[in-house]
Amino acid sequence: MRYAWLIAVREYVENAKTKGFWIGLLLFPAILFLSIQVPILLEKKGSPTRYFVLVDQSGEFEGVVDTAVDRHQQWQLLRSLTDYATKNSRAQMKSGKGVDLESVPAPGGGAIEEFLDAFAETNPQALDRFSQQGGQEAFLKQVRPYLKTNAPPFEVPKQRFGKVPLPDGVSAGDSLTNIARGLRPYLRGERKITVDGKSVDLYAAVLIPKDVAKRIVRPGQMAHLMSKERGVEYWSGNLADLALRNEIERGINAEVRRREYTAKQIDVQTIRQVERTHAPFSNLNPKKEEGKEGVSMADYIRQFAPSGFVYLLWVAIFSIAQMLLNNTIEEKSNRIIEVLLSSVTPGELMLGKLMGIAGIGLTMIGSWILALVGVLLWKAGPQLEFAQQLLEVLKTSNLLPWFAFYFLCGYVLYAGVILALGSVCNTIKEAQNFMGVITVVMMVPLFTLTFIPKDPNGPIARVLSWIPCYTPFTMMNRATADPPLVDQVGTVILMLVSAGASIWLSSKVFRIGILRTGQPPRVIEMIRWIKGGSH
Amino acid sequence: MSSPVLELQNVTKLYGDFRAVDDVSFQLEAGEVYGFLGPNGAGKTTTLRMILDIIRPTEGTVQLLGASSALEVRHRIGYLPEEKGLYKKMKAWSVIAYFGTLKGMPRRAAKEKAHALLERYGLKDFAEQKTEALSKGMGQKVQVLASVVHDPEFVILDEPFSGLDPVNQQVMEEIIHDLAQRGRTVLFSTHVMQHAERLCRKILLIARGKKIFDGTIEAARRTQPRRVRLATADSIHPLETLHGVTRANALDEPAPGGERRWELQVREGFDAQEILQAAFRSGIRLRSFEQNDPTLHEVFMNLVGPEAREAAFR
Repeated sequence: MRYAWLIAVREYVENAKTKGFWIGLLLFPAILFLSIQVPILLEKKGSPTRYFVLVDQSGEFEGVVDTAVDRHQQWQLLRSLTDYATKNSRAQMKSGKGVDLESVPAPGGGAIEEFLDAFAETNPQALDRFSQQGGQEAFLKQVRPYLKTNAPPFEVPKQRFGKVPLPDGVSAGDSLTNIARGLRPYLRGERKITVDGKSVDLYAAVLIPKDVAKRIVRPGQMAHLMSKERGVEYWSGNLADLALRNEIERGINAEVRRREYTAKQIDVQTIRQVERTHAPFSNLNPKKEEGKEGVSMADYIRQFAPSGFVYLLWVAIFSIAQMLLNNTIEEKSNRIIEVLLSSVTPGELMLGKLMGIAGIGLTMIGSWILALVGVLLWKAGPQLEFAQQLLEVLKTSNLLPWFAFYFLCGYVLYAGVILALGSVCNTIKEAQNFMGVITVVMMVPLFTLTFIPKDPNGPIARVLSWIPCYTPFTMMNRATADPPLVDQVGTVILMLVSAGASIWLSSKVFRIGILRTGQPPRVIEMIRWIKGGSH
Repeated sequence: MSSPVLELQNVTKLYGDFRAVDDVSFQLEAGEVYGFLGPNGAGKTTTLRMILDIIRPTEGTVQLLGASSALEVRHRIGYLPEEKGLYKKMKAWSVIAYFGTLKGMPRRAAKEKAHALLERYGLKDFAEQKTEALSKGMGQKVQVLASVVHDPEFVILDEPFSGLDPVNQQVMEEIIHDLAQRGRTVLFSTHVMQHAERLCRKILLIARGKKIFDGTIEAARRTQPRRVRLATADSIHPLETLHGVTRANALDEPAPGGERRWELQVREGFDAQEILQAAFRSGIRLRSFEQNDPTLHEVFMNLVGPEAREAAFR
């Protein structure tokens, strides 16, 4: 055992020095960190202010467009304000839970939700009211009592859209064709416009024709769709970011509909009220005890979190299996193996390698889990409801112990095959041929990754659970779905037995194969070795 | 005479129907340096692996340092395999120390010894280098040092000189000398006879799996007829007919002046001076006359010559 240990220590230390190990160790935490931090950063940085020009020859919609753009800006302001309020509320410090948005009074006197709702309307008077009541100032004043004493000052978000006047040489009175022609160089980025002394790109142009009211399409008026006449023209070289277009389109169409309602003498306020009515829906889970059968986010997480672990399991097992293969072949092709075998038995050598690489794998998944839990603890809170819930699921379920168990068993099972393979191949290239087959077999758990949580105790999941090479992945995926006891106990026994068998069979091939040179043996030959042929 | 450190009795190794080693028996005395000679494919490496219990004989027994398996006495033996390799990413000292610990040395002692050995054999400056950065010769030296770091009583070196330049061959001989001087038993295989001649008193010779010779180099030489070489333009007929001369061969075609070189094989115990006297008596004018013992190379070629050629093509 002492010799196996010495070999394990060397394997561990030498592999821990490789780049592959550090990449494996840090990649997952890095991805985790970035996937949380990048969206936050992007939001902070935001996209640059998009400048546009508006030509409204009808003279009917300029106010509507202004309102739409303003409303968008106000929306952002409000979101920033509520974010700010949530982030810095004292309640969060005490209980870890965010301040209840509905309890924060809005400047208008109602709850914030209602307050935000008011701004969903196209009615320009809503904005007037907000500014009349003090807008941002009033909001901050209202929430100040809820904030921490050391809360940083509120930062006004950057303006998303900015309306600018027509550049020189383009006249609003000209035909739309000529205006568009005049704006082309600006929209293409060949010429710049000047805003506050700075030279910037013109992002878009919105051109509304004089007779736009005549071009409105109503149900049954197909002819207009066929005609070549354009309605409102939105000119922009950027086809990916349609936020500006959407805001303006929504604003104008809401106004068009408001006018239709008025023309047909339908009360607009009634329509608004009706549109906001709905029947509530609840998800209920019959497996949960009575009174608590409501399905929460944690329940969804509980169902799908195992898939994440299956993926980690897969990556962990196969990245270290590859290490094991490389090491074995290195020792074999370098003929170090002979010196080793004059000092240790093949069994000790195999055990040592197995333990050393297992250590590497445990270090790797240990770092992953630490990173995961660390990030969750750091981010858990009202901002990331998900993190909070996932943490709760990890605490209350057996996911982590199962993960460790299936990692070890799965690793030993595959390591047996890999060691046997490594011992009979002289070069990585030779091994690749065999690895191809193993890889195909190994892909199955990835294909079933998302399928199994949907039917965790169905026939396919159950059958896969009883195939040793898929047991760790399938059972991991079913870990929170209460599989039948016979599956739970049976597959644990199956796993232990097959891992043991894999190592035992492998040791038979290993002790002969490792000294062999030349062509890899045929399968029939290996079977003879297993049966106890001479070496 | 001390008791044998190694004893092989009727050892045979079969691979399928092929007899890699065929009924080989020999003993090695403690404190001797043995040359293990034989053509390629003669079964040397297989024999050495069986001595080390890396592979097991099909028949026969191996006793090493009183144990029936080398692993029982692994701390007391050192082994340098024929094909050399090192862990590429490990530092020179650390490879040596690692193999030391595998031979039972405490980690710290192994480390100190590794550094001491590297210094002793001129590799001090390379101790901290990764082995992949070392030249082939240096790497090989590191490997030899790794095989003797635990100061074993019995050292097996399989082709220690192959691939070494003359300078490093010299160092290798030095290492073997040092081992011998400290009373260690060394068994090294080679097919370069000069090394065997310089380093050891006793040799083992095998070909096609069978032992052909086992004894001192002197005894090996005596298996070959002694020879006298001479050059003359005259007829050597009077010399051919001497009773002690068994054979006369011309070594080349007559030169323009009629001069030719001859080799005469003489009987054991026959004084070569008699040839010289006979030449004088018969008026044969000798341009050169030399009497020399067969080299080990010649012994080797004669004992295994046809086998060697056959084996090389196998």
